Amino acid sequence: MKFKLLFGALPAFLTVFLAVRAASAAPSAAGESASGTNVIRQELVQAILGGGGQRQALLDKIADSGSGVAAGILSAWTMQEVYLYAAPDGSTIPVTLESQQDAAGTSRAIRIDDGGFLKDASGKELRFGQSDLNAAYTNIRLRRQIQQALDTLALSAADPQARRAAAVKLGYSQKPGYVPILERRLAKERDPAVKKAIHVAIATLQLGGPSAAVQMAAVNELAALKSVGSLDTLTRLAANANNNPQLENRVKAAINSIQEHIRWVQFYGTLFHGISVGSVLLVVALGLAITFGLMGVINMAHGEMIAVGAYTTYVIQNLFGSGFAFSITLPFSIGGKAIAFGLNLPGLNASGWFYQSYFLFAIPLSFLSAALAGLLLERAIIQFLYRRPLESLLATWGVSLALQQIFRMVFGANNVQVSSPNWLLGHFSLDDVSLDYNRVFVVAFAIVIVLGTWILLSKTPLGLLIRAVMQNRDMAGCMGVRTGRVNMLTFAFGSGLAGLAGAFLSQIGNVGPSLGQTYIVDSFMTVVVGGVGNIAGTVYSALGIGTADQVLQQLTGSPVTGKIVSLVAIILFLQWKPGGLFAMRSRSLD
Amino acid sequence: MRRSFVNTESIVVLAGAIFLIVVLPCLNAFTAPQSWLHVSDFTINLYGKYLCYAMLAISVDLLWGYTGLLSLGQALFFSLGGYMMGMYLMRMIGSLGQYREPIPDFLVFLGWSNLPAIWKPFNSFAFAMMMAVLLPGGLAAVFGFLAFRSRIRGVYFAILTQALTYAACLLFFRNSLLMGGNNGFTDFKFIVGYNLNLSATQRGLYICSAVALLFVYLLCKWMTSTKFGKIQRAIRDSETRVLFSGYSTAHFKLFVFVLASLIASLGGVLYVPQVGIINPSEMAPDHSLEAVVWVAVGGRGTLIGPILGAILVNGLKSWATRAYPDMWLLFLGALFIFVTLFMPSGIIGLPGQVRALKKKIQDRGRPAPPSDLTGAAPLPQPVPANSAAAPGRNASKPG
Repeated sequence: MKFKLLFGALPAFLTVFLAVRAASAAPSAAGESASGTNVIRQELVQAILGGGGQRQALLDKIADSGSGVAAGILSAWTMQEVYLYAAPDGSTIPVTLESQQDAAGTSRAIRIDDGGFLKDASGKELRFGQSDLNAAYTNIRLRRQIQQALDTLALSAADPQARRAAAVKLGYSQKPGYVPILERRLAKERDPAVKKAIHVAIATLQLGGPSAAVQMAAVNELAALKSVGSLDTLTRLAANANNNPQLENRVKAAINSIQEHIRWVQFYGTLFHGISVGSVLLVVALGLAITFGLMGVINMAHGEMIAVGAYTTYVIQNLFGSGFAFSITLPFSIGGKAIAFGLNLPGLNASGWFYQSYFLFAIPLSFLSAALAGLLLERAIIQFLYRRPLESLLATWGVSLALQQIFRMVFGANNVQVSSPNWLLGHFSLDDVSLDYNRVFVVAFAIVIVLGTWILLSKTPLGLLIRAVMQNRDMAGCMGVRTGRVNMLTFAFGSGLAGLAGAFLSQIGNVGPSLGQTYIVDSFMTVVVGGVGNIAGTVYSALGIGTADQVLQQLTGSPVTGKIVSLVAIILFLQWKPGGLFAMRSRSLD
Repeated sequence: MRRSFVNTESIVVLAGAIFLIVVLPCLNAFTAPQSWLHVSDFTINLYGKYLCYAMLAISVDLLWGYTGLLSLGQALFFSLGGYMMGMYLMRMIGSLGQYREPIPDFLVFLGWSNLPAIWKPFNSFAFAMMMAVLLPGGLAAVFGFLAFRSRIRGVYFAILTQALTYAACLLFFRNSLLMGGNNGFTDFKFIVGYNLNLSATQRGLYICSAVALLFVYLLCKWMTSTKFGKIQRAIRDSETRVLFSGYSTAHFKLFVFVLASLIASLGGVLYVPQVGIINPSEMAPDHSLEAVVWVAVGGRGTLIGPILGAILVNGLKSWATRAYPDMWLLFLGALFIFVTLFMPSGIIGLPGQVRALKKKIQDRGRPAPPSDLTGAAPLPQPVPANSAAAPGRNASKPG
């Protein structure tokens, strides 16, 4: 089967996906322990109160700790917000003032040595105005030392992202004095992404370096690291390096190699975007491939089945939150009484991980609700129109209009807010190519449901019946297959797939009454291009159209032009292959 | 029976034509505004709009009802005609626009100071009319040639025409096309020297629309009664048989497609000066689908049906969007479902359906009022034997 070919790459892809998730989920830095914090606080007190010679050593020590507490106090110190309290017993206690002030403009003082509030002998909290206390001593030199300690602190922060950001910032500072700090950190650093950022920062700083040899080495380093961020610095260096042709050539070569790298990154980025857009299209079109492709029913309300799934996700989210309520008042009255009906569902008021898990419940429920809607649609209307495909188009368009209006009445004409669970937010980078979690998720999701559909159709008894009825409804009926029932289940399954698509689309786009309309033309085109009656064709055509769409958007520089070009391209493509990519071969006419 | 139907039809058409072309404008022009016979300018304008829609409906019917080609892109040709007229009307504004510049306002807004080349010839009414024929006709010829050559038909044809109008809609939304983008054209002042704000001009345009509709009706009536019309219907009922009898069906279909696009374009040309605006939403896919509803409601495969459907559904829409703005779409959707399921031959076929039902009931010897029909939910295939069957469904239907 064609599916074998298609899924050959699946295990490899899944492994990469899982590995990446695992890597990012592992705790990358231990939290600060209470005793460690205490030591640092003592050191800070010594540094504030102590003399000049001791300070540098203490600051270096503090800087290496990566402590968040220390960062806050050090920056307060440079801003003259660390105060000295002369205690009655003659000792001096350094404090910071709480930001919250009372009516008299005074606030409680926080002791630096233990983090508690400053109290007098009777245990009463003392309050001070800013002018009541003397600020701890600083001067320009000391502030510079503190600033350096702060930068180093950021380099050793617990969060790898923060460490990276700090390294990048130091790299752009154009102060070669940071090189030793960075090198010290590099020796301790474990995280490969941070390591790379530090390498880049050091090399970028060395570009302005003391000798041509150092500069040369730095340029080579940057070229080898393919650092996109240092492109500007390199370009500036190329413009200023006229007196050294060897260096200039080297810099130009480095710029070229980095630009080449950027082109590749863009290429892979576009490819990934294309595949993810194609996967969205695939998820949306797969249901249609069943109802339209296999059953021959033109369901213009397919888009509204997607919206049913999306709104189900919205309702489930609200049920996990504060509940869901709606009411409709009909614009006319019977017997002088206005007709109104509504629904008020209490919410679970969940929070934390339980609230975040709402999406896991929403996925199966959106499938079920859309499948139920599809079942009703099939029983009420479509079952009468199997032999009149053009008319099923018209009737289901009527359903689509009515459903859109019902969505408007129940959920309002505006888009509703569906918040993504935390675990779908964010992104990770693979060699500068940024991959969003929700896009990776949609690709995986598409693979899972294509696989599920394929198993259902080719490996289960129901699938056998479905294929028999689709190939020849009358003959299957003669063989004792209850075709009406099979049609009903098939249509419900196709609609349920649309509901799944809706659950997913709610995570990456807006959910509104006309959500389905956005996708309906595209998904029909996908099925037609793939070849009607062929699921594998739909898979290829969705991925192909998605990628082509993204590439054309890049080339033409505008999403709309890209879309127009791809629509025209599809029309022309059907000239060449009127039956789609994988046309069904048949001897029958008409 | 067939003969008497033709007679009835000609009487209805004659009466309708006299009413629409002579009586309504006279009532508008020569009666006092207080008189109960008076027809307001607003009504004349509204009817003018309906008649233009009726031309669009006939173009859909010529394809769908007579040739079995469901085109979901007829609103595109309608709008293209409208845009050509709109370009002429925009030029006729002259320097009277908001910016008091000799070029259309939106071009000033986009930073143009001279007229772009594509706009220059539209000072001439004749050129605009020529383009209103050439552009929709040319597009229909190219698209139809490509589609029919590769034997795209049925559902695929419907979906492709929908994609075509969707693509065009997206294209016209772009400002860089220099067609007014989102807002399209509006604020027209003059047409061939007459002031568009005068009720006499509007009345004249209305009469033009009514006459044009009559002309389109007669043309289609004549065409469908010739041998050509027979082949057309044969293609609808079984294209393969026609093909095997030695006819090049692609050429026939192409001709009908181009002709239908020109009829739609004519409707658009007359529509724009009466409505006073044309913008890309006019060619959105739903508009074409709506035109298909008019035909289905009126009765396809007839020429009176689409006209009746266009006027009735739009009249209903005008009323319902004012009275129940929230419910209108529900209503339209329900109407659509109902007509498709229970009235496959539309209003025109209703008497036939009622007769068939009566006969059926008499045969069973169980009397029941025929009004049951409207509420009859559990009829699985309520297509009476002698009503016009769905196209392409009954190959042995007598032509």
